[in-house]
Amino acid sequence: MVEPVNSSLGKMLLEEISPVVMVLCTPLVEDTFLRNGLSFVETLKPFCNFSNIDVPVRTSSDQLYRLKKFTLRLFYASDIKQPNVEVAKQRLERVITQAGEKDFQDLKSDPPQITDILSNPESEIAPSWFRYYNKELIRTLSFSDHEAFDHPVACLLVVSSKDEEPIKKFVDLFNSNRLPTDGTMDPNILKHYLLVHDNQDATTERTSKVLSEMRSQFGNNECNLLCTNSSKEGNVEHQANPWASFKSSVSADKLGCALTGDDIVEIKDLMQEFASRHIIPYMEQKVRELNQQISATRKGLKNQFKNFLWRKGKDDNPDATKGSMYTYSSTESQIRILGDYAFMLHDYELALSSYRLIYTDYNIDKAWKHYAGVQEMRGLAYFISDQPKKDSECMENAFSTYMKLGKSGFQNATRCGLWWAEMLKARDQHKEAASVYFRICGEEPLHAAVMLEQASYCFMLTKPAMLHKYGFHLVLSGDHYKNCNQVNHAIRTYKSAISVYKSTTWSHIKDHLYFHIGQWYAIVGMHDVAVRNMLKVLDCGYQSKATQEIFLRDFFDIVKKTGMKHEVVGLQLPILNMSSLQVIYEDHRTYASQASALVEESIWQSLEDDIIPSLNSGKSNWLELQSKLLPKKYKESNVCVAGESVKLDLEFRNPLLISTSITSVSLICELTANSDDLKLVDNEPSGSSLSPEISTEHNQVTTSGFSSFTLSEVDFTLGGGEKKLVRLTVTPSEEGILKIVGVRWELSGSIVGVHYFQSVSVKAKTARGRRKNKLTPTDALKFLVIKSLPRLEGSIDHLPEKLYAGDLRYLVLELRNKSESPTKNLKMKISHPRFVSPGNHEEELTTEFPDCLKKGDEHNIVQRESNRTSSVFAFPKDVSLQGDRSLRWPLWLRAAIPGTISLYFTIYYEMENVSSMKYRTLRMHYNLQVLPSLQTSFKVTPSPSRLQEFLVRMDIVNRAKSDCFQIHQLSTVGCRWGISLLQPVDTILPSKFLLAGQALSCFFMIKDCRKSGTEDEETTSLPPSQTDVKLYTQDDDEKLFDIVSSPLASFHESERSCQGPSVQVSPNTVDFILISRLAKSSSPSAVPDLPKILSHHSCHNSIRSSSPISWSLDGPQTIHHDFSTSLCEIKLKMVIRNTSDGISSVTINTNDFLPDAAATTSSSGNQSGWRYVPTITEEMKLTSDVMGSRLGKPPSSMESSPPFIWSGLSSTKIQIQPLSTTEIPLQISVFSPGIYDLSSYELNWELSEHESATSSGTCQGYPYYLTVLQSE
Amino acid sequence: MIVCVAVVGHQNNPLYIQSFTDADDALKLHHIVHCSLDVIEERVNNPKKSGTTLNEAFLGLLYPTVNYKVYGYLTNTKVKFILVTTDLDVRDTDVRSFFRKFHAAYVDAVSNPFHVPGKKITSRTFAQTVSNIVGSYGLN
Repeated sequence: MVEPVNSSLGKMLLEEISPVVMVLCTPLVEDTFLRNGLSFVETLKPFCNFSNIDVPVRTSSDQLYRLKKFTLRLFYASDIKQPNVEVAKQRLERVITQAGEKDFQDLKSDPPQITDILSNPESEIAPSWFRYYNKELIRTLSFSDHEAFDHPVACLLVVSSKDEEPIKKFVDLFNSNRLPTDGTMDPNILKHYLLVHDNQDATTERTSKVLSEMRSQFGNNECNLLCTNSSKEGNVEHQANPWASFKSSVSADKLGCALTGDDIVEIKDLMQEFASRHIIPYMEQKVRELNQQISATRKGLKNQFKNFLWRKGKDDNPDATKGSMYTYSSTESQIRILGDYAFMLHDYELALSSYRLIYTDYNIDKAWKHYAGVQEMRGLAYFISDQPKKDSECMENAFSTYMKLGKSGFQNATRCGLWWAEMLKARDQHKEAASVYFRICGEEPLHAAVMLEQASYCFMLTKPAMLHKYGFHLVLSGDHYKNCNQVNHAIRTYKSAISVYKSTTWSHIKDHLYFHIGQWYAIVGMHDVAVRNMLKVLDCGYQSKATQEIFLRDFFDIVKKTGMKHEVVGLQLPILNMSSLQVIYEDHRTYASQASALVEESIWQSLEDDIIPSLNSGKSNWLELQSKLLPKKYKESNVCVAGESVKLDLEFRNPLLISTSITSVSLICELTANSDDLKLVDNEPSGSSLSPEISTEHNQVTTSGFSSFTLSEVDFTLGGGEKKLVRLTVTPSEEGILKIVGVRWELSGSIVGVHYFQSVSVKAKTARGRRKNKLTPTDALKFLVIKSLPRLEGSIDHLPEKLYAGDLRYLVLELRNKSESPTKNLKMKISHPRFVSPGNHEEELTTEFPDCLKKGDEHNIVQRESNRTSSVFAFPKDVSLQGDRSLRWPLWLRAAIPGTISLYFTIYYEMENVSSMKYRTLRMHYNLQVLPSLQTSFKVTPSPSRLQEFLVRMDIVNRAKSDCFQIHQLSTVGCRWGISLLQPVDTILPSKFLLAGQALSCFFMIKDCRKSGTEDEETTSLPPSQTDVKLYTQDDDEKLFDIVSSPLASFHESERSCQGPSVQVSPNTVDFILISRLAKSSSPSAVPDLPKILSHHSCHNSIRSSSPISWSLDGPQTIHHDFSTSLCEIKLKMVIRNTSDGISSVTINTNDFLPDAAATTSSSGNQSGWRYVPTITEEMKLTSDVMGSRLGKPPSSMESSPPFIWSGLSSTKIQIQPLSTTEIPLQISVFSPGIYDLSSYELNWELSEHESATSSGTCQGYPYYLTVLQSE
Repeated sequence: MIVCVAVVGHQNNPLYIQSFTDADDALKLHHIVHCSLDVIEERVNNPKKSGTTLNEAFLGLLYPTVNYKVYGYLTNTKVKFILVTTDLDVRDTDVRSFFRKFHAAYVDAVSNPFHVPGKKITSRTFAQTVSNIVGSYGLN
């Protein structure tokens, strides 16, 4: 709380409410002082403020008081009038513009911290030019009619000694320049006469004569002489120039150049004498006279009563003057003069009592401007008298009254508000002051801007500070400044507002601030600062789409104006998803395709375990040990090869709703030469790893002068909110340490976004699983680049994606080495030997596949000794690849089982003359989809009459959905068994094709060709044709396939090991190979690449019967029936033979329900995988001739009801004597056409031998397929 | 009609601001909500000495602007609820009822175990509930 007299308002009032002296001078006087670059009034103004005048004053009472501070205001007579509105407006605008230009250099600085603003002293918070602005604003109301403190108190008439007839000049000056107002100012004011003598021109004799004449004419005390311009040279420089604040355009040193120090002292003494001996005594006498007069007429109870009656009579006077309501001589005007004079003489008590007398009169007369003016003066008087609350009440009253006047009172309201705000601020009521500033904003935008800014500083000064309103009012002020093209001020206010919002999460407001201040910086030409602010709104994902478009368009416009590219670290457009970062590189492990690199490392490691030389083995001597060891540094860091690219996958996301084009996306890398390390590796004398002392002394120098790596550049467009995975590559061409530092990209060709990876944890795709230490984030993106190495490229031609089970294909593996350095010791490992088998010769086959597999081809290789010692295939020793030479090696592919199979190939090769890496591996990965095709099942039964012969029943089901297959041949494996047909081919296969879903049963006879009695004797060689059975008609002129030759023999060995654990050939088992092919007349197949040959292997089929009985179900295979008349009853016959020596009791149980699949599977190993065959719907009509027929739709299953019923006895029990046969009739009822599996029965047998205990068992029924067709 | 509701955290960070006007005046409403924080802090630091309203969460009319009235509500955890309306004659009982329902919806939203305290409320259920509350009170 400041004492009112010493507050800013107190000082302002001392200056602004002070006596006015009207100055009248001749042109010659002005010329005299213009030599100093000043007008006459300007010369005197610095000396009109008296800080210690010390004059005794006596006004209304007899008590004296001393004036210490006093001020005079000097005006030319021509200026004593109401200023022109437009002129005043321009003057105010010039104050603001000059202040803005002065602050121009500070605009570039960053917004200050809000804590720094709060800790500033109170006087430094608001800009200093506000005081000048407020003064100019107040002065626009000077010389109002209703306010007496602006009326001139005295008149100063100045004549030069060089004027002709000076006495006459004095009289003419006053007569021709009367007071400008019409009767509201006192015409009889004090006059003072001043004679100016220029020491450079006039003579002293003439001046003395004129002065004598003046004194005789106007009075001795009213005349004075002022001698000036005493300096002859005219180049006096004043240390503290009192006129420095007047003019900034002229050099301050020139002001007052003709005045000496004595001249200045003379001016000062003149003004002090003028004030103390003339002005103050005159005002003092005036106050006493007015007070005495008014006391006689207005004070006291009697006078108030008379005044009431008299004033009422005045209203009825029809002759009232139409002009001004109150002339100078009116009582109200006299009282106002009394109050104002008392105020200026600092007698505030007398002033208050005077104002109290008239404000009621003005209220009654509805003279609102006069009324408000008096209230305003009362408020100011109360303030200086230090009477709180009363001052604010008066100011509020005055302010409201001015506002009620509308536009005509707004200027007065503004001045009143400014004084009122200063009053409140002096009492630390800053919030109330802010509301006053807000109320005087008005409609003029520049005026409002200044007021709003002052209001914001009030909010800053409250205890505690109201920062939110401070920021808000600064924003409002900035908007108004911008609307008036005061861009510098707009930037200044917005910068202060940013200090408030900068560290908050009020993003909508922050975006608005940064966007606009960026635009405004661009307007004033500071484009780099503009870009810096605009960058903060680029990731405005939460704004509306239209707003984002505006932001981005304006941003790029501003960036283009700078004419340079701006690099922004951490740019959030687009957003990089660092968790998606993946690094793919190759060291000694190389990949043939992208799919190969995505396979889990553990799969490759398990495949390569026995193909990669172990570091712990082969310790024949230390020289060999040295060549196999890799330096320890290599094992711990990522290794890549010069000339081969490192790939980095990263996801970019557009946070905006609008499409954004991103160009020139590339990595940021550093390559450091590491020659010392490489030399140490080359010259390493022993097998030990580098010691820590040597490792720390590596001299790492960044390679400069030329590019040591090649970077890829990617361009793409991200739609609104779109994500995209981008692959970036770096290909080092020199050895050293490669670091991937970050990513850079460009927007609109002018903004460069940069993102550094320093603190990102990267998932290195090919990191070794055996590494114990976890990768540090920086190590994952750090690579040791070694010398260029040969890199094999491998591919397999025409590897199909879809196959039928059993499909046999001929493939070619092609390996290529583009490097000039040769490779050696090629090896290959295949993950599924059951599926893929390498061939034996590099040369192309002389005969085309599949005819090369047929018998009679001279180039077939018979593999009689086909056992492999290991699963690693070693290429011939003489195979070496270099100089873009390619090796083509045959591969055989057979789809062994249905399902989705992943095939993995690893090619191992070694380099010559390379010490950094001894070997590399090429990894290839392919996916196969194998569809089911023919499914076979074999049942071997010994013949009762011939000991060397066995009955073979083969059941085939076509499991394919739409394709038909043709059976070609059936062969036994080995030379022991001969096979022959029991029926002609035409009987077995009337249609020659197996339709989709169709089942078939065939019977064969096999014969053991070993010598009877002794197994030690050599097996006689059978003719080749006796081990194969042709299953096609004799009309076809086709040869049988040789199952002894490769690759059928190799694949059969694989199947044997997969289908059973037997290692040696068991004397009680037999193997079969069924060869089939796709029917050529089929509709478009499910497999795009048509198979040529399919082989189906069935191994370990037992020839020993496991039960004492054997049986067969006899009946028709295919019947026709007219279901429109009745259901179909089919008679069957079961023949059962007791093959044991005891009596067998057999029970036949028939089931009408579908057997459980699990139970069926587990009951018999030979029938594993058998499924129920779906029936054919009624819409499908099959005829005997199916050649060329097409299946309209796949068959559907009728699972809701049993397809047939055993209509005979459900259980039959018989006794069979040893080695005898019996027949049992059976019968089924069928309700619709279809293919039926009549295996839903079981035989329970019980054997009673005479000498041993009773044994028993259960036999599941054989598959017996019955085809029922609709007869026409 | 209610033009804006907001939830502001105890560090004066905005947790939820939603405007219910067709015009593009989200920025203006953000400023109004932001300025009301000064008034809320003033009310909290200088509570009225009335005994019956000692623990009152409802702060009443914060300040009137030219076109809007701003009401405030303060929870025990110093979370502020702010309501901006264009209605000239608003009864305190209606505003209290609104804030009670709004408070209940807020408690439901922050009780979500996946909600991080101090972060913006992104629950669609909360947004729908608030729209329903605003819709029902906008008819008055």
